[in-house]
Amino acid sequence: MSTAIGANTFLAALRDHQNGDGGWGWHKETRSRVEPTCWAISALGAERNSSDDSIALTKARRYLIAEQENRGFWTATPEMKSGSWVTSLACAVLANTEDADSAVVAGMAWLCNDYPLDSNPALRFIHRILSKDVSSKHNDSFRGWGWTPRTSSWVEPTAFALLALQESRAERLPSAASQRRELAVGLLYDRMCPGGGWNCGNPRVYGVAGEALILPTAWALIALQAFPEHEKKSLSLAWLEAEMPQIESPGSLAVASMCLEAYGRRLPATRLNLRDCSPEGLLEDGIHVLAWVSLALNPNRAWPVGGVR
Amino acid sequence: MNIRNRKLIPSFERPPSRVLIRKASNYQQELADLIHESLRQFNLPVQGKTVLLKPNLVGLDPLGVMNTHPAVIAATRASFFRLGALRVLVGDGPAMDRDTHAILESVRLREFTGKLGRDFCDLNLDDVEKVVLETRASKLKELFLPKTVLGVDFLVSMPKLKTHHWAGVTLSLKNMFGIVPGSCYGWPKNVLHWAGIDRSILDINAAARPDFAIVDGILGMEGNGPIQGTPKAAGLLLFGDDPVAVDATACRVMGLLPEKIPYLARAGTMLGHLNPTKIQQLGESIASVRTAFAVLPEFRQLVG
Repeated sequence: MSTAIGANTFLAALRDHQNGDGGWGWHKETRSRVEPTCWAISALGAERNSSDDSIALTKARRYLIAEQENRGFWTATPEMKSGSWVTSLACAVLANTEDADSAVVAGMAWLCNDYPLDSNPALRFIHRILSKDVSSKHNDSFRGWGWTPRTSSWVEPTAFALLALQESRAERLPSAASQRRELAVGLLYDRMCPGGGWNCGNPRVYGVAGEALILPTAWALIALQAFPEHEKKSLSLAWLEAEMPQIESPGSLAVASMCLEAYGRRLPATRLNLRDCSPEGLLEDGIHVLAWVSLALNPNRAWPVGGVR
Repeated sequence: MNIRNRKLIPSFERPPSRVLIRKASNYQQELADLIHESLRQFNLPVQGKTVLLKPNLVGLDPLGVMNTHPAVIAATRASFFRLGALRVLVGDGPAMDRDTHAILESVRLREFTGKLGRDFCDLNLDDVEKVVLETRASKLKELFLPKTVLGVDFLVSMPKLKTHHWAGVTLSLKNMFGIVPGSCYGWPKNVLHWAGIDRSILDINAAARPDFAIVDGILGMEGNGPIQGTPKAAGLLLFGDDPVAVDATACRVMGLLPEKIPYLARAGTMLGHLNPTKIQQLGESIASVRTAFAVLPEFRQLVG
């Protein structure tokens, strides 16, 4: 099956901007980073017909494996020494690569052992006794993932960790994986905004309902797709469908489109048409946006959610 | 000299700071001349230099109540060009929403500035450089900061006049949270919260010190800011060559006591002047423009 013309154009632009080390930076001629490399791999990996892509993907996966730290995590930027949420992305995109077995096993082990500090039982107890903080009312017994280790749980890193857990074969997962999955799903539902959808993870501050945002909502719904029906999923899908027509940025529109398609929803008419975007324009927003739009226009995609064929 | 080579000067060695208050009733008026004429009073060393304007772009804001207004950004950019700047960049790294494009579209920045292309820098996605935090006000030892910020000749913090539900107020010092890249630290930049918001503000401003501050107080925000507060018209712009002095003056305009705001009190000992006797007041007097901003009950001790 051939992909849409738009997707091919965007994929060509992605190929053009691969760095010599096999990775991609956020923008043209910038240093390779794990996150944009993961998104580029996802987009190029969805189209397996081209031999050019095979070479590019092989180089890119080698870059990712080389960037993994000894303790199993990936860092957000080569200059940093601490683990990062990008470990989830790296594990997810390497999950189906045969020669990346040990990398994925080590990455998932690190991920499943990385607990946010805010949900630490001792800290929660102290907080409950001493704190007069009335700013938010989370249920901190749920544990997701943070952007950086030993901070707090947030919606998007939790969603990406769930996707990595789903993508990895069971034999590659540590024993804590199933419990982490259960706690993370609970956290996502706990952090949903009262009217449906998610923002970064503050559903209510000083009694005022938080406003949901497109990207956290779409990623959370994509991560929850494999789980049983839930009224909060339905409410959030309805919120996303209602917001779709007003979306004015290609990145949000691409991810929201993939999300609604994954749930079998018809895409509503939108102000913006992804096929009207130029690769140069998308590159100004970043390689990740170019990759998201490529994925959204590609019916062959398999990850982060399957396309509509 | 670019940002990364700056040394801290103890308060007792610093010359008096200058803060200019100008009335500006709305965003429809001709702001370019007002801002240009205001900046000229400071004799800024920007001839042939690269300037970075760092507005506060915190979220989707079609009503123009939470972000630095694009009319102010555009007029300031034009003014720096008129003052001889070689390049005037605009950059921010929104803290809560990684879709910077959506935020820019929501405020219609391009309609005011024209197409910025590579003169807009999403600081969340910039290449970074390690900066050792010598002040160690927080427990952070280092931060990875955008090369664009560290490489410019002249950095301008351009906040909106707002209260803040965790820090008390968010002005030119707190606005610098936006230079910390989300691609390294996330959305929000939660590591700064764990290190202590007040203390992190000091470390960031010591590591990348703004040369100048312009506060958009035409329409501010009171109460549960910086996002969910109530719009509050103050009808003014503040300018100054010392962000601490500008923030202290802004607080006094808002009817708040800067000495009671922990990060500002400490900033007054290491980054600039808090004491009104060390601040040369230009333009309107504080008393003539004072507009009481409501604060959350947790911050009632700030009210002067």
